[in-house]
Amino acid sequence: MSIRLSSPEQYDALIDKYDTWMFDCDGVLWHGDRLIDGAIDMLHILRSRKKTILFVTNNASKSRKSYKGKFDQLGVVASVDEIFGSAYASAVYISSVMKLPKDKKVYVIGMSGIEEELREEGVSFIGGTDPADCTVEPFSLANFTLDPTVGAVLCGLDVHVNYTKISKAFQYLTRNPGCQFLVTNEDSTYPSADGLLPGAGAISAPLRFALDRDPISIGKPATTMLDCIKAKVNFDPKRTIMVGDRLNTDILFGQGGGLSTLLVLTGITSEKDITGPNASSIVPDYVTQSIGDLRAAGSP
Amino acid sequence: MSKGIYLSSPEHYEILIEKYDTWMFDCDGVLWHDDQLIEGAAEVLKILRTRNKAIVFVTNNATKSRKTYKRKFDGLGVEAYLGEIFGSAYASAVYISSVIKLSKSKKVYVIGMIGIEEELAEEGISCIGGTDPADRTVEPFSLSNFTLDPEVGAVLCGFDPFINYTKLSKAFQYLSRNPGCHFLATNTDSSFPADGGVLPGAGAISAPLRFALDKDPLVIGKPSITMLDCIKAKIDFDPKRSIMVGDRLNTDILFGQAGGLSTLLVLTGITSEKDITGPNASSIVPDFVTQSLGDLRAAERSSR
Repeated sequence: MSIRLSSPEQYDALIDKYDTWMFDCDGVLWHGDRLIDGAIDMLHILRSRKKTILFVTNNASKSRKSYKGKFDQLGVVASVDEIFGSAYASAVYISSVMKLPKDKKVYVIGMSGIEEELREEGVSFIGGTDPADCTVEPFSLANFTLDPTVGAVLCGLDVHVNYTKISKAFQYLTRNPGCQFLVTNEDSTYPSADGLLPGAGAISAPLRFALDRDPISIGKPATTMLDCIKAKVNFDPKRTIMVGDRLNTDILFGQGGGLSTLLVLTGITSEKDITGPNASSIVPDYVTQSIGDLRAAGSP
Repeated sequence: MSKGIYLSSPEHYEILIEKYDTWMFDCDGVLWHDDQLIEGAAEVLKILRTRNKAIVFVTNNATKSRKTYKRKFDGLGVEAYLGEIFGSAYASAVYISSVIKLSKSKKVYVIGMIGIEEELAEEGISCIGGTDPADRTVEPFSLSNFTLDPEVGAVLCGFDPFINYTKLSKAFQYLSRNPGCHFLATNTDSSFPADGGVLPGAGAISAPLRFALDKDPLVIGKPSITMLDCIKAKIDFDPKRSIMVGDRLNTDILFGQAGGLSTLLVLTGITSEKDITGPNASSIVPDFVTQSLGDLRAAERSSR
């Protein structure tokens, strides 16, 4: 059973209990470019109480540096080292875990966030934001030359997805021996400023269906993301809490890592998903309406 | 009857032809590759017609309407009649008008090509999306610029080489926000042969919606019996004396089996030897297998 937080004492006790606070971003801190009420104050309270703050996002459309830019624009204090995006985790996975040889490259379905992080890790790539791929012209195999050095396909949220990108990735995954199929994350939807839109999981779905093959997924809830954080930040799972809005990514991620979990209802998940006959089997430790509620704890 | 019989002798082919009165053919990979007839296919159809067999063409390809398919047959010099052609676009339009009975004030949001739009128009069904240039874009999609049309009562998804995030996002809005909006797919072939290779098929086009909604569409085309019901409504045939000829196990052969028809697999399309033999052989076993439809010409050499 989840503990429904409500009193100032409960919020205060919660803050006391955890030294490291991991936050999802979309639907937790902001909707699109609109901050959620109380987000800044709440983070300020945590920082003044010397908590370690980390931002853990599946959104691969931006690199960590670009996210820092977004935080700055919204007036939220954050440093690049506190930001862990699935684009970054994927680049680290490809270079340090897969150890893709330097003469190989990645075919990218995704946006500049993925490209920037791959570049930082010294991983070569094609596709991505290449204008030649961002087209609604019909794709013809007769005009396509298979690049034999493509050793992996990495797929993330791509609002410019089209049949050309899907077809090229399909060629690499079916015709280049040993070509790895990776996705930054599999969120089925994402909460834009004005409502729900198909997420990264929807973008890679055509490939899964056409190949009848599941990709290696890097982002939450996979522990790959947590391993990426552990490699950079020291934290005690028993005194760490993951705050998110999605049960099957954020909360499952926290549980998989032995962290405590706090669900907010300002994003993807609503009351009907956690109560009644259709309640999810994924049960967070704590539930509160919004992170702004933590302000009730007050400053020390 | 034992299954998976490899046909080889003229007598085999002669017996096969005698046995079945109604012959249903898949088209891509069976009769032709793109715009090239498979060797012997036209002659076999002639032989069957001479022997007074009923011929039916059953294709999941929703990119063309039946009328356009007729023109393709004409262009290739192959005898075919409009009443013999059943495409998944046609079957979907008939399903929407006659089974769902979508009210005339409602419309369908289409992800697909002109074949779907033409068949819907023939059935008197209004649609938006489809080949509309406004939807054919790689510009980012913004919900703030989008007005939900409350009259959309169904989303119909078929093969669309112009698929993009705008089309997926609009369809997602209709399916998640218009109460009772039907989710239909002309077919869900995972891939199809093209230009000497393989490309993602209609099933890959509707996959994002299935994933985002966590909901499966009603699939009209093979192997669904919806397609067979559409044929039954127009053509009289005895399943016991009917045979489905196709190149894909999980559409053509499964379709035939579900309808109580006999099935003949050809290896000129998507399925190859390794899919039907050895340790990874499919659990879907056709009654008969032959390399190509053209093999049936050997019946003419039979001593029977």
